[in-house]
Amino acid sequence: MAELTETRSIPVAVRLRPVEWARRHLFGTWYDAALTVVFGGLFVYGAVWLIGFLIRSDFEILRVNLALFMVGAYPRAELWRPAAATVIVAALIGYVAGSASAAAQARAEEAGLPFHRARPKEVVARFWPVLAFIGVVLLLTSTPTPWLVVVSALIAGVVGYLAGRGQPAPVRRFAWVWSVGLVVVAYLVLTGSGIGWDRWGGFHLNLFLTVAGIGLAFPFGLILALGRRSSLPAVRAVSITYIEFIRGVPLITLLLMGIFALGFFLPQQLRPGDVTRVLVAIVLFEAAYVAEVVRGGLQAVPRGQVEAAQALGLSPWKTTRLIVLPQALRATIPAMVGQFISLFKDTTLVVVVGLIDILGASQAANSQPEFLAQGLHEVTLPFVGLAFWVGSYTMSREARRLEKRLGVGER
Amino acid sequence: MRRLTLSISVLALVVAACTQAADQTTTTAAGGQPSGQGLLATVQDRGTLLCGVNDAVPGFGFRNPDGTFSGFDIDYCKAVAAAVLGDADAVEYVPLTAQQRFTALQSGEIDVLIRNTTWTASRDGGEGATFLHTTFYDGQGMMVRADSGITTIEELEGSAICVLSGTTTELNLATRMAGIDYTPLTFEDNETLQSAFVAGQCEGWTSDKSQLAGVRSNFPEAEGGPESLVILEETFSKEPLGPVVRDGDSQWAQVVDWVVLATIQAEEFGITSQNIDTFADTDDNAIRRFLGLEITDDEGNTTVFDPGLGLPTDFASRVIRAVGNYAEIYDRNVGPNTPLGLERGLNALWTDGGLLYAPPYR
Repeated sequence: MAELTETRSIPVAVRLRPVEWARRHLFGTWYDAALTVVFGGLFVYGAVWLIGFLIRSDFEILRVNLALFMVGAYPRAELWRPAAATVIVAALIGYVAGSASAAAQARAEEAGLPFHRARPKEVVARFWPVLAFIGVVLLLTSTPTPWLVVVSALIAGVVGYLAGRGQPAPVRRFAWVWSVGLVVVAYLVLTGSGIGWDRWGGFHLNLFLTVAGIGLAFPFGLILALGRRSSLPAVRAVSITYIEFIRGVPLITLLLMGIFALGFFLPQQLRPGDVTRVLVAIVLFEAAYVAEVVRGGLQAVPRGQVEAAQALGLSPWKTTRLIVLPQALRATIPAMVGQFISLFKDTTLVVVVGLIDILGASQAANSQPEFLAQGLHEVTLPFVGLAFWVGSYTMSREARRLEKRLGVGER
Repeated sequence: MRRLTLSISVLALVVAACTQAADQTTTTAAGGQPSGQGLLATVQDRGTLLCGVNDAVPGFGFRNPDGTFSGFDIDYCKAVAAAVLGDADAVEYVPLTAQQRFTALQSGEIDVLIRNTTWTASRDGGEGATFLHTTFYDGQGMMVRADSGITTIEELEGSAICVLSGTTTELNLATRMAGIDYTPLTFEDNETLQSAFVAGQCEGWTSDKSQLAGVRSNFPEAEGGPESLVILEETFSKEPLGPVVRDGDSQWAQVVDWVVLATIQAEEFGITSQNIDTFADTDDNAIRRFLGLEITDDEGNTTVFDPGLGLPTDFASRVIRAVGNYAEIYDRNVGPNTPLGLERGLNALWTDGGLLYAPPYR
């Protein structure tokens, strides 16, 4: 091994002067030059148009309706609740990141490997789209409260991170308990004083449906995927029927079913709220797709792995949990993240059943008397698009990081 | 063979059981309330009115920046709540799409549908719905650019017309344009339709005249302002819009009907939310009956008039205090001083040449 590394020629990073770099990379050949001119021109045109759009447009409709876009019809007197929940979730994220970092360091030390601790600059580089979106929202605020929320959330995040890093190892072993506890606290704060999640709306609703949809559909889909490969005919038949039925139905049909058809079957007192119905429809739908993605991963695990595990005397449950699933799930990351990103964007379909998510808020804002018929969707729709781009892009970047760390496609 | 028969009979049993169970649930759920109790009592027990509304029709039902609802239709939800529950804010608004509305009504998700719904015979007959007194008489019109020089619908021969999909508007257009060659361009919402119109994808824009007027008066100056658009004279459909309730509960239908009629009657009497207190000692017995005030007959007995509608005797004064009379509701939401800027037209009292006419309250 040592000899091998020595004979490998190491590329030397050569730092070129900008002019030299441009000459070599942008104008190397005549077609390089042509492409540079064409795309450079398009880029400049786009940038000029964008700046013109930002100067020309009147963002009053966003300023006035910012809360509608963010939390929908959440009672305005109780707005401190989503704010407090945001701070708690920030603390939770910081704590989880801190605990994970501390755990990774402990493992690295144990194995005698070097450990790289994330620097603030790297965190900013990693999450710049999210930070940029928060910046845009802050620019649109008309009161100081959102600033206060953001600053508190940042402080809470840092405190959470330091707590996660600094906690002694025995406490860290129960990190998931504290994390679940924080989620429960955030939920209780949000739903306190009788505001169930059926009153949620705006971007808050999109995020909730995405997170809850992923969180509930993933385990359900995993069970279905294992069921489809089970050796028990009944389990297999049920799984296949379910998956093939749901995959044959568009999501919008399930949503409409949940909203319209349920009313005929349940007495009024037992009818769940609209958000609950939509969430159930999304989970049922997503689980079938997750199941197929996971099945793809399961099939990628060579048979020899299972046979080797059996030869070692592992029980079927242990074989699945320790040998098959870790390898299968690792292989499914790209497809799974694609599924989750499309779920995130599919949450806008709730508009058709009368819920007011961020897209519905855009529609509602354009129907208000003072903004009526002025073509202001040219302002509101790009804002909605930005919100979704930030979410989707962050998800795909994080997935790419995870793939790299787990070495998907490399080993 | 025996196995097959067995499995078929098991299947049949299961299906039968399922349908039976479904039958039972539908019978209990169909009315949305336990049998024997009318919707009026159910609403009073519940303490809130479930009102099916639109959340994106300018002037009639839309959301404020704080998420609450406003509009002409919304005020009628408040009026019903004020009459039945004594509190105009005891309304739970259920925003519905055009496709959703009748299903929501049939399944009992809402008590009353006040969502710019056109009263047609097939809806009245086929949707299990009862249409009540019209609150707004609308009609479909056509809007074109002023510089196109078009003055009649016939001149739109060979051009494209923008229209919202899934509404009676689309059907009316097809009926009106029979024999005229045109291309309909359908859209899901007004914003995209407006973009297409501004971009010149279509020469004509057809919709209810109330909506066209709202668009026209707000048309951005950058695109030429209101003067650049003309709404053609012709109205080629009747669009009576009003509240709708489920079939089969005539008491509840009467209640909602008389709330609408009370706003019209109040305008006829000249009673507004501002001056209602001045009528407390009026000598006009018609007004005293209407407001639920004590009436002294020739023998000196005092009574309060109760027509037996199931409503409190003072429901009219509750409604007027909460939302005002018809003229106030109209002027506040869609009248000349609002962005919609609509004249009364057909929606004036019968005494002013309009269609609003309330039966006598006695």
